[in-house]
Amino acid sequence: MYSINRYLRLKEKIKEIRKIALTGIAEAGSGHPGASFSAAEIMGSLYFQIMNIDLKNYSLANRDYFINSKAHSAPGYYATLALSGSFPKDEIKTLRKLHSRLQGHPVRYSEHQKNHSVPGIEYSGGSEGIGLSVSIGISLANRLDGYDNMVYCLLGDGETNEGQVWEASMAASKFRLNNLIAILDRNKIQQDGFTEDIMPIDPVKEKWSSFNWDVVEVDGHRIEQLITELLRKPKDKPKIIIANTVKGNGIKHMANNPQWHGKAPSKKHMPILLEELEGEYMISPSIIAGPTGIDEKSLIEKIETAEKYRSEMIHLDVMDGIFVPNTTFSHKTIKNIRSVTNVPFDTHLMIQSPADELDDFIDAGCDILTIHSEVCKSEKDFETMNTKLISNGVSPGLAINPNTEFPQWAIPFLDQLDVIIIMSVNPGFAGQKFIPEVSSKMTKLIPLLRKSGFTGYFEADGGIDLSTILNAYNAGCRIFVMGNAIFGSDDIQSRLKETRLKIDTNLEQQLLQKSQSLDIKDDWVKGRKTVLERFQLGVLP
Amino acid sequence: MYSLNSLNTDEVKFSDMRSAYGEALVDLGTENKNIVCVGGDTTDSLKTKKFGEKFPDRLFNVGIAEANLVSIAAGLAIAGKISFASTYAAFIPGRCLDQIRNAICYPKLNVKIVVSHAGLSVGPDGASHQQIEDISIMRSLPNMNVLIPSDALSVKKLLQKAVKTSGPFYMRLARPSTEEIYGSNPETNFDIGVGNILVDGSDISIIACGTMVATSLKASNILKTEYGISCRVVDMYSIKPIDSDLVCKCAKETRGILTVEEHNIIGGLGSAVSEVTAEMYPTIVKKLGVRDKFGESARDEEIDTLLDNYGLSPREIVKNALALIKSEKR
Repeated sequence: MYSINRYLRLKEKIKEIRKIALTGIAEAGSGHPGASFSAAEIMGSLYFQIMNIDLKNYSLANRDYFINSKAHSAPGYYATLALSGSFPKDEIKTLRKLHSRLQGHPVRYSEHQKNHSVPGIEYSGGSEGIGLSVSIGISLANRLDGYDNMVYCLLGDGETNEGQVWEASMAASKFRLNNLIAILDRNKIQQDGFTEDIMPIDPVKEKWSSFNWDVVEVDGHRIEQLITELLRKPKDKPKIIIANTVKGNGIKHMANNPQWHGKAPSKKHMPILLEELEGEYMISPSIIAGPTGIDEKSLIEKIETAEKYRSEMIHLDVMDGIFVPNTTFSHKTIKNIRSVTNVPFDTHLMIQSPADELDDFIDAGCDILTIHSEVCKSEKDFETMNTKLISNGVSPGLAINPNTEFPQWAIPFLDQLDVIIIMSVNPGFAGQKFIPEVSSKMTKLIPLLRKSGFTGYFEADGGIDLSTILNAYNAGCRIFVMGNAIFGSDDIQSRLKETRLKIDTNLEQQLLQKSQSLDIKDDWVKGRKTVLERFQLGVLP
Repeated sequence: MYSLNSLNTDEVKFSDMRSAYGEALVDLGTENKNIVCVGGDTTDSLKTKKFGEKFPDRLFNVGIAEANLVSIAAGLAIAGKISFASTYAAFIPGRCLDQIRNAICYPKLNVKIVVSHAGLSVGPDGASHQQIEDISIMRSLPNMNVLIPSDALSVKKLLQKAVKTSGPFYMRLARPSTEEIYGSNPETNFDIGVGNILVDGSDISIIACGTMVATSLKASNILKTEYGISCRVVDMYSIKPIDSDLVCKCAKETRGILTVEEHNIIGGLGSAVSEVTAEMYPTIVKKLGVRDKFGESARDEEIDTLLDNYGLSPREIVKNALALIKSEKR
């Protein structure tokens, strides 16, 4: 069954992987940001959700195994391990230095290598093309011992130039290893350039199929796609997930740029780069909007449209006619439309008695459930619901109406909340105008809540369109509910593109300003030239 | 002490190292269910097939794919197995150096690489199959142990030690049947890092390994009976770690050392012995082996002649021993 445990928290942790990895690389003055970034979602999904491992008890016999065959993704791997409790994340600053446990390429952790490794590393990588064979050995041993654990092997696409990968590919299907899943980080770049120029590996799906593997293809930066396929275990043969990724994804001048395969950013640029990573945002189209109505067929059409144009989430406005004057749909509808997509459901409960129906909404397959603070009768009331959501792997959210102050009783829950919706219209109808006063409310409230320890997402909901989105973005919101601005448009694809361009250009300007305030503008502009040109900011001196 | 006479009579027994390996593997596998084996389309020849017949789910034949073979063995060891990786010597140390280095030695995994058909005595297959660089290559890897048994009994005894000692091992066997050196002394002890003095002597020392131990014993017999020279013969089955005490003892107690091996003189047993003497007790070490060239085909009945052509016969050893004794340098 499709399920992500606390989707938003997972997103946050994967963002953290990139930040930690980049910090390590900048400190070291060398390393591979490209591979660390293309594989961040893959490693994060495995370690934070899929794998049965205990890094305090790292040698348990029936543990799941991760074999990182593309070991130059070490900084990202180390960051993932740090966030999994292997070692303190500050230690990333020792990466690649003398006497560090974090060697340039990861080393299998054992008694004799404990000064050069950290708990959880199973495999000493660095020489490409070997890891899949090693994974086969582990899978064979696990099967022999009667364990039902899994072996996950991360392969680079350039790495599959190595003949040994195909020796292994043949052997894994010979032995019908259904306890082995390989993930191919298909970022299309190797050290000398693009894979299809250096040594073409396409048609990659057909190659693996013809070696008798179960082959699936996903967007390797969409954790819901990765997790769906990582959870679907192969039946009688090994499985490979071709994860289409972007090398260097997360930092625009590194993305899809062969020059950044193995290059470290300047330490001076780090504050700007971390700001860029923090700038990541999600669009959550509200499918009650638009002229086609809210019958199931229309909702499904809108979901399919949103998915096609790469919306990060689907926003579901549930209205009961009591808490708000309008009525939309119930958990039954959500359950019916759940199977249409694995894009996370961002469900906003505008209902008077959420406690009564919470189990049903969880059961319907919501990834996020946001409750209105106005309907919480007491702190205890909210606590019960929040605990239930967390224990069921749902990201809990709290919403406040434009005229509602953030409730004091919610402050102790800030570290357990994954999202706070600051409504910019009075809920109840689609197509309302953004209430301007909410901008200043956001600007005041967001830093205050950050200071009080909230690390989750702020979501803007109500009247968000091209003219208002930057108000919310610049205040600190990173999730944007958009209804009529999307589904009211004749050209939904272009509207989404314009929206993203607007946010991206705005962020690019902020980064440029930051470089100026850090007195490194010329240097920044030099490295960022093509990106600045893309956003028509290249004319600046 | 070993009877020299028995080595020169028709009563000398021959046996096959590979069969000894196959039998030992079955015995070890019976005692320890964690023992598994990976083979590469040579399981019949390596006699690991016997292990597979006894334990069908513990022998993995990966076909002609040696890099995959040794790396799968590494994976099995990661998951707690004692894994044997076996095929011909020609196809593992050179072809899989990278895999052995990075996937086995660096993480110090419990992989026992056992190869056969090492040295010139492979015979008819010719130089492509005559592995004469493996000791040099394997010895240079940190964490790797290198063992070269000289007969069937020592194969079995050394395998037991290799299984009991955690970490990577490389063991090289010969193709032809070899004389039973320890046949009359089955209780002989074998330890990792120790060599056996088979015949003691005071004039010179011959340190040999593998098939050349029997050849050296013959040479020592000739030296004694025809020239009255007292010659010590050491079976240096543990090339790494090497018995440096014994090497120094030979350097101190005799006038020179002769090393004999079916291997290039660069990097093999002779080099390992010289490394010890150079640092600890400088002495002349005359290296008998292939002098940095490739071998050639020879039918089974021509193998002795082939070896003789490459300086690896009792007569060649005698000649070099006499020259060494005459030499004034020490």
